[in-house]
Amino acid sequence: MRAHRLAASALAAVLIAAGCGGGSSTNAPSGGGIKTGGVLRVGSTSYIDSLNPFVAIESQSYVAFTMVYPQLVQYGQGPKIEGDFAKSWTTSTDGKTWTFTVRSGAKWSDGTPLTAEDAAWTGNLVLQYASGPTAALAAALTHVTSMTAPTPTTLVINYDAPVDNVLPQLEQFFILPKHVWEKYAGNSGKDLKTFLPEHSLPVVSGGPYTIRQYNEKGTTVYIPNKYFYGPKSYASAVALTYYTNSTSMIADLDAGNLDFVDQVPYNAISSVKSGGRFNVQSEQSSEVTNITFNSNPLKPKNRELLDPQVRQALEYATDRAQIVRVVYSGYAIPWANMLSVQSGPSSGINWLDPSIKPLPFDVTKANSILDSLGYKKGSDGTRVVPATTGKYAQPAHKMEYGVIVPNSLDFNGDRQFQIIAASWAQAGVKLHEVNGGDSGPAYALETAGNYTKFDLATWDWNEYIDPDAQLSYMTKAQWFSWSDTGYNNPQYDAMYKQQGTITNVQQRVALVMQMERIIANDRPYIQLVDEGLVTANTKGWTGFYPDLGAYCKCYYTAPHRV
Amino acid sequence: MDYIVKRTGFALMTLFVAISLNFVLFRAIPGGAVSGLRCQHCSVKFREAIIKQYGLDKSKWEQYVVYLDRLGHGDLGTSIADNRPVWDDIRQPLVNTLPMIVAGTVISVLLGVLAGVVAAWRRGTLMDTANTWTALAFYAAPTQWIGILVVFYIALPLGLPAAGIESNTLSIFGPPSTWAFVTDRANHLLLPALTLGIGLYGEYALIVRSSMLETLGEDYVLTARAKGLKNWAIVWKHGLRNAMLPLVTLIALSFGYIVAGAIVVEDVFSYPGIGLATINAIGRQDYPVLQGIFLLLTVAVIVANFAADLLYFKLDPRVTT
Repeated sequence: MRAHRLAASALAAVLIAAGCGGGSSTNAPSGGGIKTGGVLRVGSTSYIDSLNPFVAIESQSYVAFTMVYPQLVQYGQGPKIEGDFAKSWTTSTDGKTWTFTVRSGAKWSDGTPLTAEDAAWTGNLVLQYASGPTAALAAALTHVTSMTAPTPTTLVINYDAPVDNVLPQLEQFFILPKHVWEKYAGNSGKDLKTFLPEHSLPVVSGGPYTIRQYNEKGTTVYIPNKYFYGPKSYASAVALTYYTNSTSMIADLDAGNLDFVDQVPYNAISSVKSGGRFNVQSEQSSEVTNITFNSNPLKPKNRELLDPQVRQALEYATDRAQIVRVVYSGYAIPWANMLSVQSGPSSGINWLDPSIKPLPFDVTKANSILDSLGYKKGSDGTRVVPATTGKYAQPAHKMEYGVIVPNSLDFNGDRQFQIIAASWAQAGVKLHEVNGGDSGPAYALETAGNYTKFDLATWDWNEYIDPDAQLSYMTKAQWFSWSDTGYNNPQYDAMYKQQGTITNVQQRVALVMQMERIIANDRPYIQLVDEGLVTANTKGWTGFYPDLGAYCKCYYTAPHRV
Repeated sequence: MDYIVKRTGFALMTLFVAISLNFVLFRAIPGGAVSGLRCQHCSVKFREAIIKQYGLDKSKWEQYVVYLDRLGHGDLGTSIADNRPVWDDIRQPLVNTLPMIVAGTVISVLLGVLAGVVAAWRRGTLMDTANTWTALAFYAAPTQWIGILVVFYIALPLGLPAAGIESNTLSIFGPPSTWAFVTDRANHLLLPALTLGIGLYGEYALIVRSSMLETLGEDYVLTARAKGLKNWAIVWKHGLRNAMLPLVTLIALSFGYIVAGAIVVEDVFSYPGIGLATINAIGRQDYPVLQGIFLLLTVAVIVANFAADLLYFKLDPRVTT
């Protein structure tokens, strides 16, 4: 699963750009009579690929970051922004300087003081190598020019312009322990990509948990950090077990070997629901799946796939309803916007352009468009693209393409590919599956040769609450970092820069919608569905906030025994 | 003696060819040391530095010489994914897998011998037909499918753990007692071993049946019957002992296959053995680790073949070349 966050939904309100504010850290429910202790045993088909935030891709890694690394702010129940390491904040009258007051007396899990200097050092490090080794975190600091820590409890962040979404952006900023990481900051930042904190256990943590045992595709054990500055966890440990096989995971849940499953496999939802043995929560998630087109204008082969009309035809040839029915057992909705359901009205601000809707499944229409473009079907039913001339001359060739399918998906990617291949074949386009491997190698396949080697992929995005990050992934600045399309549109890039600095919400919404329409029309993706998030827990535990996922430290601190 | 020298020479030659092929194979497939790096400006200098770090900037011949030299010193290389020595990455999975395949082999041999003997003794009856078809069915069934059935019909009703090598809470608050450790490991080993055993038993059953039918037709068995020996004595003392030769060699020959066959079993049960390590290495395109695993598997097959050759020489005096 690519990109960071587990799903959020049903957002009641999002606090955007406060002139001043404060944190209350309500990330765990209060009240007496809560039973503490016990090991929370979590089952997942998503794994922690690294505890290095400059390297990791998998969404489970971002849950780990939230538990291990302090953040200035985080999302609390609502969800709404609240303080985490920051207690309060103010902004200058010109809106370009933000001053955070962070908690005093905080320590890392090894006893080293945790101060504003750690935050300033991390921020400046990310800025220093923003287009290189630290690019994965750089989007959170867009428009930031520097960070300083005049006192151990004061952090000053300077921006090059007033920014509308400072707090949601900083929610994605993880503070690293300077005393651990600074020895890897030299060598032009190269060592930042090769240092793996998971090899030095227990991991030095500033969050509610440290990690004592790490097994990428086995069990990872979170142990409470006694120095954590915020609300302590109710559980005495969290044991996260990765399952290669979802059937085994459900069998373990059924046998009482697990307390919580963070995504019930879609084909097992009905059986988990039956009998009433488990609490099953089901809601719309922030995860949007797609067919990815290589959109690099310099791509040398199969250049017909750069044509928006071809992409439109292929969207007509895509049977979303069948994908929803077969792959998701009905727990997904057809989707066309680059932003997820969570960015809709329930977020308090409706970021979604209502004009962007999935095209109906209409193979006749698809054939008609492709016929009109001159791509005639050959004797075997596969269309042929005539030879072209000029700088990017291509010989005549069949419309046959490979589709990269990563194996780290939380849905049946192979089955989805089969459905797409079958319906596209009706339009005269032949597909074959390319095993992408884990997320890292799959991304390497997409970026190989400066985005010139691949044609198509199927993947997904787990999206943030504020649309900024998702919008940024389509910019040229995100090439080799988060861009998986090679999309390059200077006009769009300028709009992205601009949207972050518009302080009038309605004006920003209008610009964001315009960007959505550009992406919808250019179709670097055919968006497929917005997935359902279905979790299950035993009756022996309560206090779960599946919708907060990696947004909140309460995800693992709030659950407690009944 | 000539036989042993010849077989030893053949084994060594095979080993050298396998080692060389192992080198070529992983340099002929796409991906490499820079797969998975995510940074725009890593594309030139940083990627070159990484390539240099793993010695991939040298010519193939130079790499081959370095590879042989390192192997000669017991160095399998360094993992691209986690920068650790390959041996460190595969040692524990190997240790995890061995008890599982030994247990699986024991289960398959016991089931196979029992089914084969019963089928041969009751040849031509419904028992024989049912036994033979059942053995054929399991022999032909994909092992991962058998694994799923085992999860559904054994793990769920009995509440046995369906994944991993130990309980996720076993060692959280300190090392467990030896007894707790052993029983917990045994609980987790049971289902993967049973799956492997069921998947393999069919082959043994068919071999034993065939061998037993041949043996039971021998004159000495007729003599034993004429002497009035009891059925079990005829079967176990005179029949099975003489029918065991092909079974013994088959076990040795299939040892390498069993290790490879553990891959799918470990995938079903998330069992952190050499099979799962192989799948992870494939997924991460961690070719040094994959190369190390393939080398070990290859050596295992060659050694098993060599052992079978020696065993055959010992058990069957007719074997001379």
